[in-house]
Amino acid sequence: MSVPGIEAIGFTPWTAPQLSTDPLSAAGAVGGTQAPTGPTGPNTEFGNLVLDGIDRLEGVQDRSDQLAVKAATGDLTSIHDYTLAATEASVTTQLTVAVRNRALEAFNEIMRMPV
Amino acid sequence: MGAFDLLRIAGSSLGMHQTWLDALANNIANVNTVTSTSQSAFQAQMPIVQSAPTGGVEVTGIALGDPQGRLVQEPDSPLADANGYVRAPDIDLASQMTQLVMAQRGFQASVQVTKNAQDTYTAALQIGQR
Repeated sequence: MSVPGIEAIGFTPWTAPQLSTDPLSAAGAVGGTQAPTGPTGPNTEFGNLVLDGIDRLEGVQDRSDQLAVKAATGDLTSIHDYTLAATEASVTTQLTVAVRNRALEAFNEIMRMPV
Repeated sequence: MGAFDLLRIAGSSLGMHQTWLDALANNIANVNTVTSTSQSAFQAQMPIVQSAPTGGVEVTGIALGDPQGRLVQEPDSPLADANGYVRAPDIDLASQMTQLVMAQRGFQASVQVTKNAQDTYTAALQIGQR
């Protein structure tokens, strides 16, 4: 898509991400020798997104746990380091759970779709 | 710029204020520490801070007070020299107490920022919820 009006003054128009049409065309092929392979595991974009989120969540929680141990053993140099890490871990967990819930909701919505 | 910059910036402020409070506590603790005139006096500590390029504040160093201090007449002190003088640190206790209040209020303000940050994140998580 090209919008000369705004490109002239230095803006590039936003283009919506294109969905890959490969699985659809594979599914539509009649008598094809290859069975349609659905999106599998972490190769899909959403899978990557979730895995990245969980990796990040794990890192944040690890940091919070390490600081909790430090607080218990008396090695904590500043209290706010731990409370901030705990807050970050809490918010990240809530965010990950929210994304997971929304994804599940979307999946259920599709499953309820009358065929 | 990450999602938790608000917390990171507030955290840097908390760290800076804690360093300041530590330095003030040390100064106030040593306000009556006298030394013999042959030695240098206790030097007051003052954190040197500047704004960080990525946001927030950072302590770049600790400035030290005058090692000369003040010469005080205290003939009874075991540290007194032949003329009865000892070296007291050049610290103004009133100024230190004022700075203590400023540092404490700054710390509390940053804590309030983190509370508001948490509320903000919680509000953002509720977008689209039914």
